[in-house]
Amino acid sequence: MGTEGVCGEMFYPNHEEIQKWMDKAFEMAKDALENGEVPVGCLLVYNNEVIGKGRNEVNETKNATRHAEMVALDELRDWCELKGLEVKTVCEKTVLYVTVEPCIMCAAALRLFNLPVVVYGCRNDRFGGCGSVLDISSANLPQTGTKFKCVAGHRAEEAVEMLKTFYKQENPNAPNPKTRKQ
Amino acid sequence: MEPERKRHRTRRRLRRSDPGQKTDFKLVLELNAMHPFTNLTHLKRVRACRSKDSPHALEILICLVKDATSPLNNDFSNAALGEPFVVKIPSRPPLTRPQFELASKHWPTSFHEDKLVSTALRGELFNAKQKAKMQEYMMLAVDAAKEGKKLGLKAIGAVIVDPNSDKIIAKSHDCSQNHPLQHAVMVCIDLVAQSQGGGCYSYEKYTSCQFNFVDLNNGASQPYICTGYDLYVTKEPCVLCAMALVHSRIGRVFYGTDSEDGAMGTKFKIHAQKDLNHRFEVFKGVLVGLCKELDKEE
Ligand SMILES: [Zn+2]
Ligand SMILES: [Zn+2]
Repeated sequence: MGTEGVCGEMFYPNHEEIQKWMDKAFEMAKDALENGEVPVGCLLVYNNEVIGKGRNEVNETKNATRHAEMVALDELRDWCELKGLEVKTVCEKTVLYVTVEPCIMCAAALRLFNLPVVVYGCRNDRFGGCGSVLDISSANLPQTGTKFKCVAGHRAEEAVEMLKTFYKQENPNAPNPKTRKQ
Repeated sequence: MEPERKRHRTRRRLRRSDPGQKTDFKLVLELNAMHPFTNLTHLKRVRACRSKDSPHALEILICLVKDATSPLNNDFSNAALGEPFVVKIPSRPPLTRPQFELASKHWPTSFHEDKLVSTALRGELFNAKQKAKMQEYMMLAVDAAKEGKKLGLKAIGAVIVDPNSDKIIAKSHDCSQNHPLQHAVMVCIDLVAQSQGGGCYSYEKYTSCQFNFVDLNNGASQPYICTGYDLYVTKEPCVLCAMALVHSRIGRVFYGTDSEDGAMGTKFKIHAQKDLNHRFEVFKGVLVGLCKELDKEE
């Protein structure tokens, strides 16, 4: 019992950090929406510093895998290279803040980068990889990096509303918010 | 293609009915009204009693064991019915004749043969010419894997082709030593994007990762870059790659060997996941021997 604090201690963001960085992620999402882009905000935070952020780049790259999270992970790599730090060591202490649940592909990518914690807003019923369609975050996949913890539901309704607003402009590459039934 | 062979059997409560009181047809109609059987339309509701010693002529399915209330609802209390009992039934419709025969041993089942699955199981889905093409493309993927291996990389190779024009669009090997997400399939998808004037990485130092430019008719990019294309990959794609292929709307996937965390049969079947917006056919075992050999240390 007494050792629990020592062994069980996990790297985890506190309430204020979640609040602060999710506010930033939502600002990004709003900004994207105002510019006619997929309203998903996504930040990678290490040591109280944003070391990667991304927005969906599927259309300009013609590469359907360029989701915001994938772009942010590339920024993280560049940042590590610039600072001369090992990607794996940095990732072990990095949190992803994102307004929408990462898709199955991005969830696998986050595992492969060994990210320990993902904080997200609304569910992604169409592609979600943290429980909505499949739970990749906690699946037994020994060859696919490490499992990660999820903190879900932060300002979820707002995130859904932004996506719904965006769908009215019809973009086939966007994720589906919870309230949209097929 | 891997058909579902396993029949999960669900137990169901059943009662014997007294002969001659109602016709089968009327009985079935009334049963369906009282206890609708959704999702189980492949099952016959009534069968002739198998035991000669039984005082009853027919046996009927009432409901799933999990749906049965205890004590049983009043509508079962017809004195003509015997004691309810539990029987195993096939939970899903049989796709092939052997499955049908197995299913029928448990309970009368209707059967609409899935011609594609039956043909595939007989090994007749592709003709000799098609098989030769498949092997030719897989051979290119094997060669790419070997090139990667020479550079000290994981020996996994991939090729994306347009089966209509027989044109090779992109060819790649695993580059994940350089970038944790640059699996052979991910590289191949990015090279397809480059063939259409997009893409986001440079693979200059990997001369075996190549693409051929494609003419897009009206110059407009297609929204889903791999529509109509086939992927050949030496190893079963992982979750990352499998979902990337869904997003890219790949046409078909052919792979050589299974992988431990594979997402097209081993751990998941992402290509057939019911909630996703794109599904495709997957075939494994192309040049399986050569693909297996890639894993051997030299
Ligand atoms: Zn994603
Ligand atoms: Zn992969």
